Amino acid sequence: MTAPVIATEAGERAQPPASAPRKRGRFSVHFAHYKWLYLLLLPGVVYFAIFRYGPMYGVSIAFKDYVPFLGVNDSPWVGFQHFQDFFSNPDFPRLLGNTLILAFLNLGIAFPLTIVLALLLNEVRLSILKRTVQTLVYIPHFLSWTIVASLSFLLFALDFGPLFLFLNSVMGTNIDFLSDPNWFRPLIVLQEIWKNTGWGTIIFLAALSTVDQDQYEAAIIDGAGRFRRVWHITLPGIRSTIIVMLILAIGQMLNTGFEQIYLMTNALNRSAADVFDTYVYFVGITQGAYSYSTAVGLFKSLVGLVLIFGTNALAKRFNQSGLF
Amino acid sequence: MKIHNTTGGRIFDAANYVFLSLVGIITLLPFIYVIAGSFATEAEITRRAFFVWPEQFTLGSYEYIFSTPAFTRALVTTVLVTAVGTLVQLAFTVTMAYPLAKKTLRGRKVILSLVVFAMVFSGGMIPTFLLVKDLGLLNSYWALILPAAINPFSLIIIKNFFQELPQELEESAKMDGATEIGILWRILLPLSKPVLATFALFYAVGIWNDFMSPLLYLSDNSKWTLQMYLRQVTAASDLLGTGNVDPAYIPPEQGIKFAVIVVATLPILIFYPFLQKHFAKGMLIGSVKG
Amino acid sequence: MIRRRMSLAAAVVTATALTLTACGGGETQSADISTVNVMAPFLEAQPPSADGAVQKKLEELTGKDVNITWAPNASYEDKTNITLASSDIPHVMVIQGKTPGFVKNAEAGAFWDLTDKLGEYPNLKTTFPDIQQNASINGKVYGVYRGRAPMRAAVMFRQDWLDKLGLEAPKTTEDLYEVAKAFTEKDPDGNGQNDTWGITIPKWGALGTNSPYDFIETWYGAGNRWTEKDGKLIPSFETEEFLEANRFVKKMVDEKLINPDFATFDPTKWNEPFLNGKGGIIVDVDSRVSVLINLFKQAAPDNFENKVGFVGNLEGPDGELNAHPTDGYSGFLAIPKSSVRTEAELKTVLEFLNTMNGKDVAVLLNNGIEDVNFTLEDGKAATIKPETEEAKAVNTDIKSYAQLGMNVAGNTFHPVKQASDYEQQVFDKRTEVMAEDLKSAVYNPAAPYVSATYVSKGAQLDNIVADARIKYLAGQIDEQGLKDAIKLWNTSGGDKVKEEINKLWQDNK
Repeated sequence: MTAPVIATEAGERAQPPASAPRKRGRFSVHFAHYKWLYLLLLPGVVYFAIFRYGPMYGVSIAFKDYVPFLGVNDSPWVGFQHFQDFFSNPDFPRLLGNTLILAFLNLGIAFPLTIVLALLLNEVRLSILKRTVQTLVYIPHFLSWTIVASLSFLLFALDFGPLFLFLNSVMGTNIDFLSDPNWFRPLIVLQEIWKNTGWGTIIFLAALSTVDQDQYEAAIIDGAGRFRRVWHITLPGIRSTIIVMLILAIGQMLNTGFEQIYLMTNALNRSAADVFDTYVYFVGITQGAYSYSTAVGLFKSLVGLVLIFGTNALAKRFNQSGLF
Repeated sequence: MKIHNTTGGRIFDAANYVFLSLVGIITLLPFIYVIAGSFATEAEITRRAFFVWPEQFTLGSYEYIFSTPAFTRALVTTVLVTAVGTLVQLAFTVTMAYPLAKKTLRGRKVILSLVVFAMVFSGGMIPTFLLVKDLGLLNSYWALILPAAINPFSLIIIKNFFQELPQELEESAKMDGATEIGILWRILLPLSKPVLATFALFYAVGIWNDFMSPLLYLSDNSKWTLQMYLRQVTAASDLLGTGNVDPAYIPPEQGIKFAVIVVATLPILIFYPFLQKHFAKGMLIGSVKG
Repeated sequence: MIRRRMSLAAAVVTATALTLTACGGGETQSADISTVNVMAPFLEAQPPSADGAVQKKLEELTGKDVNITWAPNASYEDKTNITLASSDIPHVMVIQGKTPGFVKNAEAGAFWDLTDKLGEYPNLKTTFPDIQQNASINGKVYGVYRGRAPMRAAVMFRQDWLDKLGLEAPKTTEDLYEVAKAFTEKDPDGNGQNDTWGITIPKWGALGTNSPYDFIETWYGAGNRWTEKDGKLIPSFETEEFLEANRFVKKMVDEKLINPDFATFDPTKWNEPFLNGKGGIIVDVDSRVSVLINLFKQAAPDNFENKVGFVGNLEGPDGELNAHPTDGYSGFLAIPKSSVRTEAELKTVLEFLNTMNGKDVAVLLNNGIEDVNFTLEDGKAATIKPETEEAKAVNTDIKSYAQLGMNVAGNTFHPVKQASDYEQQVFDKRTEVMAEDLKSAVYNPAAPYVSATYVSKGAQLDNIVADARIKYLAGQIDEQGLKDAIKLWNTSGGDKVKEEINKLWQDNK
């Protein structure tokens, strides 16, 4: 922790809450000293209060049987009914399993790949190539999942798709990747990598551009090879960015995004494909269960929150900067 | 700066270049297919599974899209809203991130916790709509900008970035008598170009691609944005819209859908290359040393 | 201390925001409705303009200012919910379907119950009471339904292949098998390669969605979603005929008469195999016939006739024609209670709707304005070519205005004249075949009834059977597995659904 600017702060924290006037005095000194900062803070805080916390009462929809016509206040209260239904749903273990497996696969594979790609791009000295590939690589992010799914159907089509034929000839098998539940997850992760890795590199590239170039020079003079330079300078240079992105990614873990999965699901691979998000969409649309989907969303948010605070604390343990 | 290259280094470079070129091609090809498809006839699209150049070139799809009078208006409107919105959102975010980067500021932890909390929990679509309505923002472009003014994720990353900047900069500036705002404006922001560029891009893309907000908040048809407009054209065939399609409706041809994607995507795609020059290495050094 | 101060500040701002939102209610409406507010979806790229020719004529014919809020179709359900939650509710709302969300709102009292009122208005009294019943919620009619073609099931095939092999158009399901077999084995495109098959079926499977599977099951006599047996209603998949129908399809799958990737085939590409000379038969709605012809026309404008042939529903193995109808409606026009407060106001609105469903307005909404964009030729509306600016505007607008058409007594507007004589022939034949088949339509006896259990878990339950059907066809499970899935449907809540549906059925008989 940086040394406190105001000497009294350390002393103040060590003591139990003192009598009111003395503390108020301390704060107003602090406030006066930092008043510009608080002023800068004001618009943002007001924004959060109004636009983010204002509608927060909507969370109560998860505990009601919400009918839009009746409004939030007059919709009947059902307490934890939706949560009970959700957890006791016989599909729940399968949904949980599928969601978690996909989440871990994405975290374990797609996330590191994004960093690797950013590093590889960073190592390119031919400016034309670097800028071209950088620009191309994030195009897939803008294509909708509908297109990605369409292309996947094309590439992996039974008996016809080029990738179907190629992969099966290499592996010596006859697998229908589009309907085999065992291949559903690899396919999803592959799609995710293709679509979002490029976009994900942007943040890391921005971070990489702030790494102190002098260190590289010094390392080269010391005879460090490419790999060692990356390991000892580049990676540590973007470490805090990696950690923040990792924490945020973990916090988003349960959000698999339903559109991609929905498009790739069919009767034959559903056992591996059903996740929370598709389930909620399905239920929300087909059964108008606004409250139910809000309840599931609440559950996921809660888990996300715990994960964020948890991993953040973990990062702090290892003396990293974490989220806050 | 000469970088001494070993043989291993050269092999690595070669392999890297080949690999990245492949990556570039793999990511580009599908988009080329989309562009090609936008210039092809329906019959050809149905006949040929995948192609990068149409045999029969037609402008029919683009004519269809550009023929509606409101289209150019929507395009211009969207560009303006995106430009203004990005500046506003970036301004809000940066001004909030800077104080939060000061670890000695009291109340920092509380505010950050509230921010993180707001990142995962939200009131939902209907309560937010009612709020926007009560604030009198319905049918105003501000409804497209203000509700998403600060993305908590962006806020946290920008804050972190400010935290990483060397303290010496600020301290020397303070000794020269600079105010907080002065420090922010004159020293930190110029140094933060990569990060600012990144989030300018993120916010811009967010506003550009947002079709839900205009759909809900803009009832005046003359105020339409591009995405709403274009989503509408592909609505029936888009999976999300198939819930309640009138069976009497015949969806638009595939060529039109492709043209829609091209028009909706190209402008924002072009934005990034302009930002790339801010990603150049070594921005920091000159400022610290000099 | 700071924490408390900050929290206090936050609380104050939040409380203010909350109060603002809570105060969002109750505007007063005028008792006399001279301006009718309508909310309708539109599917085109551009909604009609408020001072278009069609709008003006509409106001002329109805004698009222009609303020239509055109909401994009993309998220119409969300928009509906938001409108109901806010205080700005129109007098007439188009509701796209009897979704559970709508049912909830209706039963909470959001809309007027029009069951006994519609009969009093000459243009709102329907000639298809079955369809009106289907559109009701347990017998209560919550809106004027939007009539759509009641019969659309057809079997279309490559006529040129049929001719080449010297076969006749199929009349029975057995015929369908024979034709599919011939298309697969006898090289109908004469290219010397074994690359053709019979029927193309895309990824589809939810129960009761007018899929090819649903059609075939009805033809086999399994009923339509629900069927009456021994004085009770049972789901169609509990009949022996259901199993027979699926054995039939499985036989075709096993003999490779159906595309092997039927479980994953992209529905947006359904026309391709037909066009590209791979799969010669499609079982779907009759409008696809015209779409296919159009595609052939685009590809080869001089040689597109006689590529596409079709028949309507097929006779099942029992020699009976059990035709599979559509729901017959696509949502309805409902009248919210919060904006139409009194019986007197309701009367005004119903009179407005009555005029809207009269022949004049129907023609306006669907055909346009005579002598501006169409002329009347033999009772058909022929598009005026070349298109003037005026006509273009009208032609675009009516695509959206048609959304307001109710047509509860059938289509009273003029049918559209087709582009060529050949296409007109096809169109007329389609109309004829469908009208004939309608006489043998097998309706879903449970359509009007909304079972509480079904609303809360029906779709998931149905998935159990729908998935099992596909797995059985793909060979992943055997017939016992299919039967087990049906049993699972029952034990997971299907029993209750059956109970509730039967009770509602009995009560409403």
